[in-house]
Amino acid sequence: MNEIGEHVGLLLPVIFPMLAGAGVLLAKRLRDDRGKLVKAVILSLVAEAALICVSLAVGGSLAVWELTANFAIVFKVDGISRLFAALTGIAWLLVGAYAVCYMSHEGEGHRFFGYYLIVLGVLVGLDFSGNLITLYLFYELMTLTSLPLVLHGRTKEAVMAGLKYLFYSVAGAFLALFGIFFLAAATGTALDFVPGGMFTGMAPNASAALSNGALVDVAFDGREGLLLAAVFCLLAGFGVKAGMFPLHGWLPTAHPVAPAPASALLSGVITKAGVLAIIRVVYFVVGPDVIRGTWVQDTWVLLTLLTVFMGSLLAFWEPLLKKRLAYSTVSQVSYILFGLSMLHLTSFVGALSHVVFHSLIKDGLFLCAGAITMVTGKTRVKDMVGLGRGMPLLLGCYTVLSLALIGIPPASGFVSKWYLATGAMASGTGAWAWIGPAVLLASALLTAGYLLPLSIQGYFPGADFGMVKGGDGQEAKSQKLSAWMMFPVLLFTAGALLLGCFPGRLVAMLETIGSAVL
Amino acid sequence: MKAVSFTVPGICGQGLHFQINGFSLVYLCIAVLMWVVSGIFSLEYMAHYERRKRYYWFFWVTLAAIAGVFLSADFYTTFIFFEIMSFTSYVWVAFDEKKESLRAAETYLAVAVIGGMVMLMGLFLLQNLCGTLDFERLGEAAGEILKGGFAGTGRPIALGSPRVQLYVSAGMLLFGFGAKAGCFPLHIWLPKAHPVAPAPASALLSGILTKAGVFGIIVVSCVLLGADAGWGMLIASLGLVTMFLGALLALFSVNLKKTLACSSVSQIGFILTGIGMSCLLKAVGEDNGLAVRGTFLHMVNHSLFKLILFLCAAAVFMNLHQLDFNEVRGFGRKKPALLFCYLMGALGIGGVPLWSGYASKTLLHESIVEYAHAVEKLEAAGNLGPWAGDPAFWHRAEWVFLITGGMTVAYMAKVFVVLFVERHPSRQKEFDAMSAGYLRPLSSIALVAVSLIVPVLGLVPSAAMDRLASLAGPFFRWGGHMHPVAYFSLENLKGGAVSLTVGVFLYILVVRAWLMGKGDPRYLDRWPGWMDLENLIYRPLVRAFLAVSLLGCRAMDSLADALILAARKTTHSQVFLAGAMGGKRAAKKKGGSRGYRFARVLALALGRLRRSGSLVEESFSYGLMLFCIGLCLTLGYLLVAFFRG
Repeated sequence: MNEIGEHVGLLLPVIFPMLAGAGVLLAKRLRDDRGKLVKAVILSLVAEAALICVSLAVGGSLAVWELTANFAIVFKVDGISRLFAALTGIAWLLVGAYAVCYMSHEGEGHRFFGYYLIVLGVLVGLDFSGNLITLYLFYELMTLTSLPLVLHGRTKEAVMAGLKYLFYSVAGAFLALFGIFFLAAATGTALDFVPGGMFTGMAPNASAALSNGALVDVAFDGREGLLLAAVFCLLAGFGVKAGMFPLHGWLPTAHPVAPAPASALLSGVITKAGVLAIIRVVYFVVGPDVIRGTWVQDTWVLLTLLTVFMGSLLAFWEPLLKKRLAYSTVSQVSYILFGLSMLHLTSFVGALSHVVFHSLIKDGLFLCAGAITMVTGKTRVKDMVGLGRGMPLLLGCYTVLSLALIGIPPASGFVSKWYLATGAMASGTGAWAWIGPAVLLASALLTAGYLLPLSIQGYFPGADFGMVKGGDGQEAKSQKLSAWMMFPVLLFTAGALLLGCFPGRLVAMLETIGSAVL
Repeated sequence: MKAVSFTVPGICGQGLHFQINGFSLVYLCIAVLMWVVSGIFSLEYMAHYERRKRYYWFFWVTLAAIAGVFLSADFYTTFIFFEIMSFTSYVWVAFDEKKESLRAAETYLAVAVIGGMVMLMGLFLLQNLCGTLDFERLGEAAGEILKGGFAGTGRPIALGSPRVQLYVSAGMLLFGFGAKAGCFPLHIWLPKAHPVAPAPASALLSGILTKAGVFGIIVVSCVLLGADAGWGMLIASLGLVTMFLGALLALFSVNLKKTLACSSVSQIGFILTGIGMSCLLKAVGEDNGLAVRGTFLHMVNHSLFKLILFLCAAAVFMNLHQLDFNEVRGFGRKKPALLFCYLMGALGIGGVPLWSGYASKTLLHESIVEYAHAVEKLEAAGNLGPWAGDPAFWHRAEWVFLITGGMTVAYMAKVFVVLFVERHPSRQKEFDAMSAGYLRPLSSIALVAVSLIVPVLGLVPSAAMDRLASLAGPFFRWGGHMHPVAYFSLENLKGGAVSLTVGVFLYILVVRAWLMGKGDPRYLDRWPGWMDLENLIYRPLVRAFLAVSLLGCRAMDSLADALILAARKTTHSQVFLAGAMGGKRAAKKKGGSRGYRFARVLALALGRLRRSGSLVEESFSYGLMLFCIGLCLTLGYLLVAFFRG
């Protein structure tokens, strides 16, 4: 246990933002002085980004606390942690820069930023979790600490949405908890993450793990049915955060009421926490071979595909821009889950790359939506006409991000879709192998249908635009967005575009992760 | 020439793979020529438009994209550039932001996106089936599969058998590429989008963007499936239908650019027929050189003709801002340059001997005749394949071909008479006065220079056109020896003469007698308005599908919420709490005399008693309910465990 000393640094990126957040919440001086608040927040975000970088580079593991053999808080940095933590850090930093400007219009900035920083710490903790118990702890913490972000508006609508978010999340977590109890009781461990899972002797590095004592040889003779049911509870429970049907209902309610930066992070990053939990359960605890070909896999695939289509279709009919984007998240996160459910290396790579791409794209899209609403005061897509005249750059970013989400090459969504679909086709899952890609493409069509109208009516408002309304001179004038808001959007757009053109290194990294677990 | 290929690894994951062969070289040159000429023309045409910058930006990006399509050496690369091309050319169609432009642009985008997604699905299937999308290797892989027959696992035609999958994926690719090429029944966007785009852009849409679709169909037909009779039959039939319907639409049209757009649909039909014939001829073991050369030369010709004709239309529109036949009548009088250019385009597309269109149409016609003979011979020998068609069918097909050629002559004559023969009833003087400055010198020089190519090619078909065609041979997987064709033999001239005669009769009997008003010689739009595939079938279908799925999805969406609501209304009812609070408020309001207060205290006590009673009752029932659920679950588990041993 003398390793602890070496890696105690892993605690820092988890603890530091929590402390900083608490400081922001409590310090009276920051509450009154906006300038100081901004400085403090930006400084902590940058420091946190540096801390994450260092800890990702150093890696390693850390046993923080051990109550019993099957109750231990352990941090461990592996490929998945690196991916998710890096994504979280980038998103938080960029959205933070945007929020600094955006929140000056909303008020109560210190409260927002306080919880903003705390959630960051919790998420990094989640990403660094080394066993399922730790993951569950941070998972619940994440729900609780992100709740104030939803409640921020303090309108009746926001409170009701917050409660819905809370109830759905808690219900999902309890569902998952049942699974955890079962697994923990059956194995008598804290469910450490082992690439390839602990219930299978077929994992690539099974022998090494066995000799380390990490792999538990559990005899499930006669109880496979119960094991599968427990896995399904874990999937459905963690699926709540990822917006998987049937428990996706909180997402289209809670995301739109939060302030735009918070919606961006809820959609872009926090839904991915559900994905992370599912990856950990399926690929690091249970093992993909346990559920391969069982009713659990079939049901899981069915649920994800239903969600993909349902989310897109409802987004297509949704008049409010932010809610439309929220439904779009429901659909897109299930693209990821579909890729995971195929249990095939290529679609696993597709799923993880879609985690990255969707996160960048949806963050960017929500920031665009927030900026549009802030400048024009409009929330309905139908009313947002002629934006290209006043905010061509912002609308350009929106358009590129939309094309990326639809999956138009060479933007990034195409790459992940390619891996998802070709992986699914090669996965040997019977009819799913072609139903899946067909549903993904049908959903992509709907995606075009619900995202592009804003661009089209923005750039092509009609020959008589500006003449009918008479006093529209104000809109025709250039509406300057502050660089603090424009720059993050531009960076997300560039990321979504360039990662699509040059995905080589990312895909290579994901393939390394994937080949360890499959 | 020897093909040169190069790759750019890593882009978009799979890397880009290009190849310069004879076909791509010719089409690259044509693309550059078309872009330069219509770019020169745009300078004048777009001079009075606002937001020119975005037009030019997307103008040049589309050139890059289309070059990528023609240079691609695997479907992955093709798809990437194809999609870019679809989206950048969208801007052309929507450019002037008029209502009909926006609607046409919507149709264009919808067809492009749907086509793209179906194509992508086909690519997924193909990649899974053959393990590659490279043109070179696809042919071999598909050849192996085609040898395998339909048999899958025991059944004669198994849905999962590789051969069926190959056909399905080829069909999906055909859908995607055909949508762009304007193949029936996906041609709907063409007659709407071309007339509303700026005319130089229409020239490119018609002349070369459709050819990107044809490029894909050629790869699927000649490279992937090669000598498949069923596939050839499908493409040839689609081609014949497209050719005829397009010409019919063009004949009825009373709008200058719409006529040209429908004519494009028709000419694409000619090209598709040629592709189909080359598959069929290969399938029966004949040399398909005639079909291959005809197809390629007609592609080249059509690109040139449509460039010329649309730029002529641009000259009309620039000056009059009208395209209706009744409004532009007589504009071309006393404008020799316009007359010359139009005539070159029209005589070419009409297949008049000595102009280049004659050569390509003759080749296509000959290929049908050749195949009909081959089928006759096979029938006599008694080994006619199931998909070869019988001789009677092919004789009818030949007639469809000739009649469509006649219709081409008729509608080009119609436009000619409108522009250059008739006089405008009121504005003729004004039109004549425009003769001096209706085109800038630069534009007219460019236009006349392009127009000269048509007769030059047409006068020496063996020297110029055959050599051009031989460049493209390898791309069509045609390995035969090129034997010279006697273009001006009696036999071949007869075909052209039949078409011309049919055209003249059609013009006199249909256009003059029926499509024009009696007495007042105005051009009438006699095409029934409801006969529009898009409004009649596609839009209602899409709308119905979306509405029906909305019902299902709404139900799914509110499933969990509805369950929670139902629970709150029934088993988890909180109505007693609300009732208690309401009662307290009511009591506070009243509060009066002493006696009344006593009664109130009693009533409150009673109320408390009842409340706690109901509380106990509810908690108990709740506990009971949970217990029951648990019991049921246990029972279920026991049963399952029992039955599974």
